[in-house]
Amino acid sequence: MGVKTKIVDFLDVRLGIRDILEQNLTKYLLPRNINVWYTLGAVLLTLFAIQFATGILLLIYYIPNTADAFASVQEIMNEVPFGWLIRTVHAVGANIIVLALLLHMLSVLFMASYKRPRELTWVAGFLILLLSLGMCLTGYLLPWSQLSFWATTVATESSSEIPLVGDAVVRFLRGGAMVGQPTLGRFFALHVMGFPLVFGPLVLFHLFCVRRAGVSRPPFGEDYRPSEPLPVFRHEEHPEGIPFFPNYMAKDAAVIAFFLALLFAIVFFAPGLFFPPAAFDPADPFVTPAGIKPEWYFLWAYQTLKVFPSEFLGLAVQGGMVTFLLFLPFIDRFRERRPAKRPVFVTCYVLGILLFVGLSIWGHYS
Amino acid sequence: MINSLLLFRTVLSTVVMAAVLFSPPSALAQETENSCLQCHESQPGRLGEPVTLWRTSIHADNGIACHSCHGGDPALMSMEAMDPDRGFLGVPVETDIPDFCGRCHVGVREDYLKSAHGRALGKGGPQCVTCHGNHRVMKASPALINPQDCSRCHEYGRAGEIKGAVEETDRLIGVLEGDLAALHRAGIATREMEGELFSLRNSFHRLFHSVEVERVRAETARVRDDLEKIRHKVEQIQQTLFVRKVGGGIVVGLLVVAGLLAAFIRRTYHEEEA
Amino acid sequence: MEESPISPSRRRFFLSILLAGIGAMLAAVALWPLWRYLSPPAGSGKEEKMAMARNLVPVGGAHFFQFNGHPAVLLQNSPGSFLAFSAVCTHLGCIIQWQPEKGEFLCPCHAGRFSSTGAVLAGPPPKPLESIPVTLSGDQVLVG
Repeated sequence: MGVKTKIVDFLDVRLGIRDILEQNLTKYLLPRNINVWYTLGAVLLTLFAIQFATGILLLIYYIPNTADAFASVQEIMNEVPFGWLIRTVHAVGANIIVLALLLHMLSVLFMASYKRPRELTWVAGFLILLLSLGMCLTGYLLPWSQLSFWATTVATESSSEIPLVGDAVVRFLRGGAMVGQPTLGRFFALHVMGFPLVFGPLVLFHLFCVRRAGVSRPPFGEDYRPSEPLPVFRHEEHPEGIPFFPNYMAKDAAVIAFFLALLFAIVFFAPGLFFPPAAFDPADPFVTPAGIKPEWYFLWAYQTLKVFPSEFLGLAVQGGMVTFLLFLPFIDRFRERRPAKRPVFVTCYVLGILLFVGLSIWGHYS
Repeated sequence: MINSLLLFRTVLSTVVMAAVLFSPPSALAQETENSCLQCHESQPGRLGEPVTLWRTSIHADNGIACHSCHGGDPALMSMEAMDPDRGFLGVPVETDIPDFCGRCHVGVREDYLKSAHGRALGKGGPQCVTCHGNHRVMKASPALINPQDCSRCHEYGRAGEIKGAVEETDRLIGVLEGDLAALHRAGIATREMEGELFSLRNSFHRLFHSVEVERVRAETARVRDDLEKIRHKVEQIQQTLFVRKVGGGIVVGLLVVAGLLAAFIRRTYHEEEA
Repeated sequence: MEESPISPSRRRFFLSILLAGIGAMLAAVALWPLWRYLSPPAGSGKEEKMAMARNLVPVGGAHFFQFNGHPAVLLQNSPGSFLAFSAVCTHLGCIIQWQPEKGEFLCPCHAGRFSSTGAVLAGPPPKPLESIPVTLSGDQVLVG
């Protein structure tokens, strides 16, 4: 008997893992018409794992106080062997993750996989999106560069427009009147521990929901019909389906490889894409550099605030949209999932994408 | 039902109205203009001109404002800002100009005073402002040495020789500055080298003021050697960056091939599924 | 599509071998930088010299500074006579302190004592302080 078989036998006798492996790999059947968009979950897991690993590595050399932070990052970039690689992968990786998150959300919206009985999956996923953006925002401050300092100042300043408690909110976020050591302290704690501690269980819950409810069937093809709402729990089976392992996992592997190729292409050949010049000057609270802008994924919010005559209104509109999206599965109770038969939804969907892209481009040039 | 809808709409309108009443977006104004600029900017004629001239100068780019040279107190809005008791120096007479600028530009002042130009100060010779201007002072370059300006007082000959000796070196300094800026943009720690280059450029530029051809030529050779050392370091870094790109190309290539192989494997399964 | 001459499973076999090969290469390419990143620097003790002004050290006094990434100390025991040592105690690596009133070093961890010439006076240190060569150069002291 091979070594592998012996090990599996050992575990199987004690934990019954053969059964678990079968149920989740070779006998786990996916709908036949499953498409490439369903790989994005695996892509995101891989990318987050890379963020986690590079993050821990950076922790070895990073110093989280205002006197040493910038110098420690410079040391990582210049002295530590391959420090430049770890840091750049971490920074570029964050951006690729946001891209993948948006694509994942867009495909779920288009195929209406958020609808009953998968509302909880959607809520968990949306919260994961918000937490990821939170990790992007807090991580941005840590290098303590001009870009870090002033982008954080602008981002936290917008909360001052909240009526009554606005200024108190800004002070709370910053740990003081201005961005400084208290801000760095709390952002570091949130970025390294606070957000990840919530993020981890949320991801596990999200995966549990996906597995427990069963993978949704793509709403395409001649014979697709919307299903009746179920009065009791039933795991969605696909008896005519294809095994997850090895059939679909091969597709997962291919898309993961292509996303990693994109990540490393940017890391090696266009690292400046996400590093404007202000990212390499140490923070100076007395000098605001020209043209400080948030990262591309926040440009829509930035431009919205500039467009509305009152910042409070701009904030309120954004808050409203985010809340609407969070509770979408409870607002959209129609059972129909085929895009061709959801004209209102698809119109709003396309408009939403155009608005996002348009506002972002406008924000970039304004 | 209707009551709660009405309540909701009332609350919403109140909130929106309150929102509209709130002031427009907060500005992140960082400028606290000093009183010299605030008063003189709006003045006509020769009292206001210096401000416009100064704004495009290299001094303005580096945060050197009126009081840095003229003294006085830029925090006071009254005429007291120009009180001699507050260090105000006013407009220097011609013979005081080298000392005026030399408070900061120490090396240049030293070389100038020892030079033929310095010895001619007050007797028709040039001082700082003659070539550099006073408010619209730009970054020094060999272009300041030219036939039109130098032949105001004497033949251009030797000035031309000095210019010839320094132009190429100045050009090299400019190129290195550009290369270092590009490396800085790529995340390389260039502060030390930039400092070395700045120091070299300064010692190079101060020696023009001695207007001695032989001395300039000798010093130029020394500066070239030091420049070469910095140039060598820069080239090593550029080589390292290139090697990284090659490695990166290999990694990306391997990933793309891996992706294609996985996709082909998927296809073999797909054929069996059909 | 009809049956191709090579069956899907045979193609899959060769493709998988290739993929495993590429995978191994990628793993190696990933592990090498990781190993180098985590490894301690291979002794930054290059032959670096440091110059300091001699009046930094009063006669009978000590001046602490960083040398090649480690704490070091410069002494002037009598006018013009300079000594430099690593300020790392030879026992377990704590940093020694200078005691001006006694003219000797004391290690705060286990009370090891060193003389102003680096010799062990008392306590657990097994060896004298590591000496760093010093040369005088005008009003500068060259260490290293």
